[in-house]
Amino acid sequence: MKVAVLKFPGTNCDEDVLHVLRNVLKVDANIVWHEHFKADSFDAAILPGGFSYGDYLRAGAIAAHSPSVKQLELMDDDCKPILGICNGFQILVEAGLLPGALLLNSTLTFICKWVHLRVEKTDTAFTNLFKTGQVVKMPIAHKEGRFFADERTLKRISERIVLRYCDENGRVTEEYNPNGSTENIAGICDKDGNIVGLMPHPERASEKILSGNFPDGLLMFKSMLKWMRENE
Amino acid sequence: MSSLSPEELEDIRRRLGREPSEIELGMFDVMWSEHCSYKSSKKVLKMLPTKAPYVIVGPGQDAGMVEIGDEIVIAMKIESHNHPSAIEPYNGAATGVGGIVRDILCMGAKPIALLDSLRFGNPAKSHVKWLVKGVVSGIADYGNCIGVPTVAGDIEFDDSFERNCLVNVCCIGVCRKKSIVPSIARNPGDLVIVVGNTTGRDGLHGASFASKTLTEESEEERSAVQVGNPFMEKLLIDATLEAIKTGYVTGLKDLGGGGLTCALTEMSTAGNVGMDVDISKLHLREPLTPYEILLSESQERMLFIVDPKGVKKVTAVFDKYGLQYSIIGKVTKERKLIVRFKGKIIVEIDPAHIVKAPVLDRETKKPSYISKAQAPIKYKMPKFSDLPKVILRLLSSPNVASKEWIYRQYDHEVGVRTVVRPGEGDAAVLRIFEGKLGVAIKSDCNSHHMYLDPYVGCMEAAAEACRNVACVGGRPIAVVDGCNFGNPENPEIFWQFREAIRGLSDFLGEFGIPCIGGNVSFYNEDEVTGKAVKPTVMVVALGVVKDVEKAKTMSLKEDGNYILVIGETFNELGGSEYLRVIHGIHHGKPPTVNPKLEKRTVNCILELIDRNLVEAVHDCSHGGLAIALAEMCIKGARGATIDIAKVPAQCESFDQILFSETNARVIIEAAPSKLKDVKNILNTYKLKHEVIGKVCSSEYFKLCLNNRVAEIGIDEMQDAYSKALEKTLFSKG
Amino acid sequence: MKKFRVEVILKCKRAARDPEGETIRENLLLVHGFKNVESIRTGKYLEFIVKANDVEEAMKEVYRALNELRIFNPVIHELKVSVE
Repeated sequence: MKVAVLKFPGTNCDEDVLHVLRNVLKVDANIVWHEHFKADSFDAAILPGGFSYGDYLRAGAIAAHSPSVKQLELMDDDCKPILGICNGFQILVEAGLLPGALLLNSTLTFICKWVHLRVEKTDTAFTNLFKTGQVVKMPIAHKEGRFFADERTLKRISERIVLRYCDENGRVTEEYNPNGSTENIAGICDKDGNIVGLMPHPERASEKILSGNFPDGLLMFKSMLKWMRENE
Repeated sequence: MSSLSPEELEDIRRRLGREPSEIELGMFDVMWSEHCSYKSSKKVLKMLPTKAPYVIVGPGQDAGMVEIGDEIVIAMKIESHNHPSAIEPYNGAATGVGGIVRDILCMGAKPIALLDSLRFGNPAKSHVKWLVKGVVSGIADYGNCIGVPTVAGDIEFDDSFERNCLVNVCCIGVCRKKSIVPSIARNPGDLVIVVGNTTGRDGLHGASFASKTLTEESEEERSAVQVGNPFMEKLLIDATLEAIKTGYVTGLKDLGGGGLTCALTEMSTAGNVGMDVDISKLHLREPLTPYEILLSESQERMLFIVDPKGVKKVTAVFDKYGLQYSIIGKVTKERKLIVRFKGKIIVEIDPAHIVKAPVLDRETKKPSYISKAQAPIKYKMPKFSDLPKVILRLLSSPNVASKEWIYRQYDHEVGVRTVVRPGEGDAAVLRIFEGKLGVAIKSDCNSHHMYLDPYVGCMEAAAEACRNVACVGGRPIAVVDGCNFGNPENPEIFWQFREAIRGLSDFLGEFGIPCIGGNVSFYNEDEVTGKAVKPTVMVVALGVVKDVEKAKTMSLKEDGNYILVIGETFNELGGSEYLRVIHGIHHGKPPTVNPKLEKRTVNCILELIDRNLVEAVHDCSHGGLAIALAEMCIKGARGATIDIAKVPAQCESFDQILFSETNARVIIEAAPSKLKDVKNILNTYKLKHEVIGKVCSSEYFKLCLNNRVAEIGIDEMQDAYSKALEKTLFSKG
Repeated sequence: MKKFRVEVILKCKRAARDPEGETIRENLLLVHGFKNVESIRTGKYLEFIVKANDVEEAMKEVYRALNELRIFNPVIHELKVSVE
């Protein structure tokens, strides 16, 4: 089983994701330059965080024109797991692989802090090891993380919300919405559940030394492995 | 339009044996400016101890480097961007980050963390608010975009910095010893390649701009302020590290202050070789004259010296990242810099003439304010029952209050190395993916103390930085110093500088660690008001953490644990936040520093941490003991009951005990089961200590003295502490 | 008092770099064949609806806001103001 960690010009968190995959999970993974990425060489793909193309024009807007997007569409045809983290999520949204838009935080500033999230959907490639309603902890670090979708789109994707910002008891309230995202949405998936995009960084919450006693992020990557094994 | 003195011009004529050409004059002008040549400071800086067996590269190259274990090297450098930031805070600060990161990168090291050391005026003033917001977003946007976490910093507010803010940025990087790339050209035949951004008119005469004080004319000197492109910087970082892996990069330098002139002359002089380059081959943004090309300070450019055998492999990396590059020439045997334009020679000079600027001997004179500063202090002591009010006021004062509004804007976790984050401990701790090894870093300086007594104040800056690093579990091994002073041609200012460096040298000598680099920024004063900034030497200490899993934070961890204070408190209120904020008194003799005691304290703390005998560690600084304890309660969201009478002190009143900023004091939290062992170790180090209280589950921070109790709600303290800065910056005014 | 619509465009000065404009041109347009686009400059657009007695007053008010509140940064911006 091989996992591709895509790298665009400006991607920052590729080595962080690679570290978790290789050193913590002992999975065969490689950083792949976006122009060299071929779908049939890999069983899963992760688009890490960062500032592809400096976030110029709109975050993820220029990377969405990369030839790698076509390859991701081929992977999607085979229901292979694709995870977009932060900038990766922004790229997937701009590329049309996930719905909605990610806009400037309501605070107008970059926010780097740990948040609580409620797992809303567990039949996806990256949350199948969680329980519905489980409260997890992960850090966010973004300036353009406000998820927006109009009424019609929201209706259409109501079953595709994967994670919501909440308090430590799982209560989804405005007070615990760090960036003004519609309905506190932190992560969503596509209609088959194999493509997931989220603003928080699971790779920063995959080890005890960074996460305290509950490296919740790691469970997302482990879920990916489970999905890969079951769909082999 | 030269800033060279008549003596300097005469020196140039003598060296060349003729009049310099216009281009040569421009080159000398920028290279002999204060910012590039350090002509005022070189003699004084010689006092600093710079050697140790683990120092791989000392001051002089683009960054200092120390070996911290098994072929692993940490590079460290600090730079200032004060003048550009005072005019255009966002871009000034952003390009400051860009420059320092490239300094680390060009040693072959991967930049892994940034620290920002800032000084501003009164944050209630609208001009200052504008500067603070601009500088912080400039650092945030640039640092976040390039993926280097800003993990720690130091910020103070004082009227003297109102128009002349200080923006010092420190960067550390990591690499293997064998991968170090020097900032030296060595092999004749090697190719000289400029990579990165196109060259334009940016920053023409920027370095000499920094050597003049800000006047009303400054707002016009806009070509001197550069705009950064962090995306291109990120590409440069990735491409450089990848190109180095080919093994064909023999020398590297970033193009910063002094642009191409600086890089070409310094690299050839250092390697005792020459260069023959044709600058018409350089990729430009717009048509430029040769003069402009040589002096431009366009951002995000690096100079590569490449073995011709590997040039295709190296340039393939640049192509992959879409970086433009120009092969402008080659290294030659004779130490002569030949600059051509379209083949024709326009400069032919021994680069050493340009690099070896004459060193100046500045006059010093003890300022008259010093004796007034040490006048006796008279004030009305507050009632014991007023303590809660006093502490809350201090907690919300700008120099004490939480800086969370700032560090939430910095991505301090990218790289997944940050084990102790901003606000959690006395210093930042990063793992470096070599077993359990890690590094701790912190920047410190109390500008007000340094103003009152530059010698002691600078010792204190170093002492505090080292102590902070030890409090998280790092053994201090080296420092860099960012010096910021007024006009060095003023003997009273130069006295401050010399005394500060003397203090730093004495401290480092007795403590036993070297200074591996630094930066000196002069002319930080506004000619219109005549005010010089308070002398500020940002001392950044680097510590080695043997086991990152043992790193300690300051939050109180468990009810029932004991709270101990290590170190004796003296009546040293001079220059304290307490006197300034509560009583409006700014003079006084600042606290003394005892380097040997600091060393013993550091060693003891490290042993306590290594043996897992303590749960929380926090040193005392701004605001004294009371504030340090309050911070531990706030971070731990836990109460504590403290008996003031138990604090080891030679004081006459409770406020001296609580608010003196005496040095060499650390507060620790210890579990009852470990108390005996803790006390034994403290005794073997012969450190004064005492149990002064306990962590308790109540929601109050209680201070007791004889029969009196003053208590403050933790929530109330948390509110005052965490919201103050944001409130001030966004208030009307 | 009447209402006036004042449009403000803040463009990056010629002399100041515009990394965003450069990147959009080089990494997006040129890559996808738009070779005839020589340059792109980015900026900010603000629309003010201002109550005033006449056009001059409306413009004055907007200029005052742009300068006093530093919405317009003379170091890097060029200003274009139009009103209807």
